[in-house]
Amino acid sequence: MRPPAKRSLVGTVVLLALAGCDSNFGEKSGATKQSRGMSDLWNGSMMIAIVIGALVTALIIWCVLRYRHRARDGVPSQRQYNVPLEILYTAIPIVIVLVLFGYSWSVQNDVDALSTNPDVTVEVRGFQWQWQFHYRDDDVTVTGVPDRTPVMVLPVGETVRLVLTSRDVIHSFYVPDFLFKRDVIPGMKNQFEITVDKPGFYRGYCAEFCGLDHARMTFAVRAMSKADYRDWIARKQASS
Amino acid sequence: MTVTLKRPEDGSAPEPHSGATGILRWLTTTDHKQIGLSYIFTAIGFFCMGGLLALVIRTQLAQPDEHLVDPQTYNEFFTMHGSIMIYLFAVPFAFGLANYVVPLQIGAPDMAFPRMNALGYWLYLFGGLTMISGFLTASGAASFGWFAYAPLSGAVYSPGVGPDLWIIGVVVTSTAGVLTAVNLVTTIFMLRAPGMTMFRVPIYTWNMLVTSMLVLVTFPVLTAALVMLFSDRHLGTQVFEATKDGTPILWQHMFWFFGHPEVYIIALPFFGVVTEVFAVFSRRPVFGYKTLVFATLAIGGLSFGVWAHHMFATGAVALSFFSLMSLLIAVPTGIKFFTWIGTMWGGHISLDTPMLFAIGMLLVFLLGGLSGVLQAMAPVDFSLTDTYFVVAHLHYVIMGLVMGAFAGIYYWFPKMTGKLLNERWGKVHFYCFLIGINVTFFVQHQLGLDGMPRRVASYTAKEGWGTLNLISTIGSYILALGVLAFVWNLFHSLRHGKPAGDDPWGGQTLEWATTSPPPEHNFDSLPPIRSERPLWDLHHPPAGPDGLAGP
Repeated sequence: MRPPAKRSLVGTVVLLALAGCDSNFGEKSGATKQSRGMSDLWNGSMMIAIVIGALVTALIIWCVLRYRHRARDGVPSQRQYNVPLEILYTAIPIVIVLVLFGYSWSVQNDVDALSTNPDVTVEVRGFQWQWQFHYRDDDVTVTGVPDRTPVMVLPVGETVRLVLTSRDVIHSFYVPDFLFKRDVIPGMKNQFEITVDKPGFYRGYCAEFCGLDHARMTFAVRAMSKADYRDWIARKQASS
Repeated sequence: MTVTLKRPEDGSAPEPHSGATGILRWLTTTDHKQIGLSYIFTAIGFFCMGGLLALVIRTQLAQPDEHLVDPQTYNEFFTMHGSIMIYLFAVPFAFGLANYVVPLQIGAPDMAFPRMNALGYWLYLFGGLTMISGFLTASGAASFGWFAYAPLSGAVYSPGVGPDLWIIGVVVTSTAGVLTAVNLVTTIFMLRAPGMTMFRVPIYTWNMLVTSMLVLVTFPVLTAALVMLFSDRHLGTQVFEATKDGTPILWQHMFWFFGHPEVYIIALPFFGVVTEVFAVFSRRPVFGYKTLVFATLAIGGLSFGVWAHHMFATGAVALSFFSLMSLLIAVPTGIKFFTWIGTMWGGHISLDTPMLFAIGMLLVFLLGGLSGVLQAMAPVDFSLTDTYFVVAHLHYVIMGLVMGAFAGIYYWFPKMTGKLLNERWGKVHFYCFLIGINVTFFVQHQLGLDGMPRRVASYTAKEGWGTLNLISTIGSYILALGVLAFVWNLFHSLRHGKPAGDDPWGGQTLEWATTSPPPEHNFDSLPPIRSERPLWDLHHPPAGPDGLAGP
């Protein structure tokens, strides 16, 4: 009975892992250059997590089924220590977390890297409960009002630096498709860079609770070709 | 709940309440068992209140564009849900249980400072009532989250008396926590029965010792931060204001320096509970007892170095250090899992309700732990923090611990009352919880990955989050049914429960050596203590020269 059950368990885990590879284990595929590394890190660590989770769950359930004993008679083995085993289940997790740390450390340095001369710089100003986007080089400003969420237009393939400031409480600039968010903190200037590599329309949210209408503090990013982006900037400059 | 044997009429050691009965006795008692029961009873009351708020939250989110309550009320409800569960349920419940059990486990007649113990309970009760009384004020209760980030929690953005009542309530209850921690540390160090060396102290008591030390280090930091916040609000200081003199981020450092060890302050007591339960219901010793003690100490130590993983997205903390520390703390936690499996391995397992809840805790907490390891990596956290993925993660962790708390109630209820809880209702309760937790919270992982932020009062249909939210809401009703089964079981068993006898489970530690419920002085006599499980030794005298009967 047991070997087929074991095999089917292993099979299930492998299937799950393979299914996860295709669908990124439920995570969005990421629309920026920076999100590639984060996506790989997520997939890799999810696979390890699923294998460990399945193994430990199987051990627990197997223990319960195998050693269930309805009658209160007899005394089971009272063995309390097994030093090699204890060293093993201390050492193996240490190795696993150190590997995870090394991987995550290298990705984190890529994500946080700032270039010396970004192609576009947008100042993102958060306030209760909307956003304002100011294109520094072209002096174009987009301001959100409660019923019309602001759209940040960005060129595909260009390095974009976002400079985040707040004039009241803490907000957080979050675009799920970029697999990234950064807090917008009063009295502090946060910045990060993205290079969008897929044209499209991406929803954005405030991810830090900021008071009454936190839920309505939404925005969007529209990524388009460089030529379309320049057109949009020109139209904006003409209309203001 | 408060059935205790009368102390002998001769009253050789007079107490302030001797002779008092009924409510006067409850008001004046300094007996650790009575106080422990008061804590447990009050904490379960707050748990039900927090749960009701959660049901409103889940009902509001069941469909897009739902407006059962307005955003202001929603914000007050999720703030008070978190605050009640963390400040008024989790820690006080753990301390209440410890109040009852720790002196019994170490063979002591009471806590070291009985009057301070009583003071702690009353501070907790009135602190809690102060916090929730915000609902009765014109401007409503606090609505800045249980974490009260500055400057949102300042006078400009959160005016009114509700936030002040919240601040004072937390200060008063955290003071109660410090008093109890002092008491537990002193009790465990000074009042152990003769023969009980530190390496013969039961694992549950060890865990309470480390918990209390974490409380002593971190609660005063929270209190200090709250006093400064109050001073910013009323005395014109600008510690956390975003002006040239203030730093909002400082609040987050102080808060999470308390807030992350707090996770272990809630976790360790219930790790302790299930360790006892696994050993007793497998009829085995705790596997790797000493390793488990060192793992507990390691968790305590490492927990001071992980707080800023709550702040990865602020761009203001050393990512590598806090990421590494947060990953490392998974190692001693993993060790605990393996010792629990090792304890069951080769045992004679009987699946009574306490054991079911302990196994349930393992399965649920495992998932919360694994998703926690993922988020310890900063680049993963950038994407997931402040989304429903974190809501799923923290509820798997905490609901796992709540399973541990229920394991403790089903395990020690017979000792506290002399009656057994009903097994059939216990199983209904257990399966409602196991199913309810997974239905409610598993889908929230996916909601987070789909980009749903936390703490939103509503969302639009365009987002496409409706189906998963509906499933989650259905799960929360299953959980509510479980709580109903539990409360019914409590009251039903108090009246009609089967008599428990002194030791219904085949216990291994000293609390099972006395009557159920124990007399006011706890023990008439103690068995000899030659290992960490004196009662097992008493019932299973080993062969050979060590097998001589005790003095």
